[in-house]
Amino acid sequence: MIVVSGLKKIYKIGDMEIRAIDNLDLTIEKGEFLSIVGPSGSGKTTLLHLIGCLDLPTYGGISIDGAEISTLSASDLTRIRREKIGFVFQEFNLLPVLNARENVELPLRYQKVPSQERHRRAMEALEMVGLTDRANNRPTQLSGGEQQRVAIARALVTKPVLVLADEPTGELDTYNTCRIIELMRDLNRETQQTFAIVTHDPMVADYTRRVVTLRDGKVSSDEAGLEQELTCE
Amino acid sequence: MFKYVLRNMWRRKARTFLTVFGIVVGIFALTVLGALSARLNQQVNGARTWYSSKISVVPKGSSLFGADNSYLELSKVPEIQAVPGVKNAVAGFGLPLSDQSSGFGTPELIIGADLSKAKDELELIRIKEGRILQDGDQGKVVLGSTLAEKFDAKIGETVELRGEPFEVVGIYETTLSAPDSFAFVSYEDALALFRAANPYFQVKEIAATIDVIPEPGVDMEDLAKRIDESVSGVKVISPAEAEKQISQFSLIFNAILLGIGFIALIVGGLSIINTMIMSVSERTQEIGLKKAVGAETGSILGEYLTEASLIGFFGGIIGMLLGLLAVNILNRVTSSNNVTIFTVTWMVVVGPVIFATILGTAAGVFPALRAAHLKPVDALKED
Repeated sequence: MIVVSGLKKIYKIGDMEIRAIDNLDLTIEKGEFLSIVGPSGSGKTTLLHLIGCLDLPTYGGISIDGAEISTLSASDLTRIRREKIGFVFQEFNLLPVLNARENVELPLRYQKVPSQERHRRAMEALEMVGLTDRANNRPTQLSGGEQQRVAIARALVTKPVLVLADEPTGELDTYNTCRIIELMRDLNRETQQTFAIVTHDPMVADYTRRVVTLRDGKVSSDEAGLEQELTCE
Repeated sequence: MFKYVLRNMWRRKARTFLTVFGIVVGIFALTVLGALSARLNQQVNGARTWYSSKISVVPKGSSLFGADNSYLELSKVPEIQAVPGVKNAVAGFGLPLSDQSSGFGTPELIIGADLSKAKDELELIRIKEGRILQDGDQGKVVLGSTLAEKFDAKIGETVELRGEPFEVVGIYETTLSAPDSFAFVSYEDALALFRAANPYFQVKEIAATIDVIPEPGVDMEDLAKRIDESVSGVKVISPAEAEKQISQFSLIFNAILLGIGFIALIVGGLSIINTMIMSVSERTQEIGLKKAVGAETGSILGEYLTEASLIGFFGGIIGMLLGLLAVNILNRVTSSNNVTIFTVTWMVVVGPVIFATILGTAAGVFPALRAAHLKPVDALKED
């Protein structure tokens, strides 16, 4: 469970103060499949970065499974990212010199998992996203949809409690968008991992179970999503 | 990790190659000069053994290496001989083997010694074949190993020194130092050769140096001081003084070597720093990603330090191998003149590679720290 309370993130640019997140409260239960939407500049990505321990709040607290992150050191935050959180980014962020399997292995490498087990688990994760036959291909040899699947496999390989996706379909066409969302929802149902997806694509939001809308750094609405059934074609 | 770092380096082949090449140039120079220095140090060490087992008396104003056309009168010999503690004062006379300079390295000299007293001195070097010169020898020569090779001389054969025939009676063992290119003859023969070469120079009985062999158990420094006090118009070079002059000589050369090393350090180091800063800023997003998936500061640091040290290491290996190749070729070319310019010691081989690797690692510290301390969120935003 993730509890965000009284969260503020203030950037100073010269004399100007920008309140990217302004007194935000949010609770995410285990196993949820939610989307975070809102106009540009509403603070979606900033919120995701804060929950993902990539950035520290100016005020307020975030607790992940009972651990209050504002009290933790940088290396503790690294450990939380490594063990509890998986990230999926808009631009996939695969390392170009590694093939698909090696990219998926990367987080396990930082967990010091021995190489044989690393290999096995990476192939498992690639199987979940249906890419075992592309394991030895470099990112440049994969389509956008395939690259994002590899990135999802990388996020899942450590079996994190929370998967944070920042515009995961932003670079994909409609068909691949549908396939990626379908994949994430199936995984959510199978593994009971929590998925939080930042998106500005209404179609993506319609497929999720809960939709949190941000405006000016605050939650402006928080309602059940349509959770439409997917038919990708 | 190694494989990964190598792949990263391979991404920017041209840039990596150019940076490595920068190191190669520096290390090449360092290797060649190192081999030169090793050879010189070898000779200097040889000279040290040769000169530090005796006291040399030279004309006032000259030094161990340079006699400036001033000579000692032979009357100094009995004066020095009279100083308590002196076993033998041996008049010596040196002149170049030929009027053309032999170029690099120790000069080829004809050394004339007063054979009635020179036994101790001539025994300082071990004889390989034949015998050392004896009192009464005339028209006989004992060759240092380099000269023996040059003349392709055998015992009993005749060689020509400045146009005069001499019978080879002995050949010394290789010392890898000055005496290897000396031809030892009697004092009288050397003087005669000198007179023949300088018909207008009215010389009487002169000596270029008087070498002093002390009585056993006599402190050489004290003896040198006593000679200096009791004999006028001479300069006494004690073993300590000789050591000083020799060290000064090698010091200058080693300083030049250090200078080259220093330039290689600055140029190579800066180019590695430059390349690594470029790599880090190019891969900022990748660094952010790695941190997001749980990379510790230390593993990012290690990755970039490895990359920088590998640049140094490859540059070092290639530069050293090219240096050895050049040294080998040059030695081959000059060997026809019986001159060895370079010596390859293990220090010459391993030193530059270690130096380059350490240099690379040190140059990588700043860029690697920069990479390791990037904030993940800032790094990810970077485009």
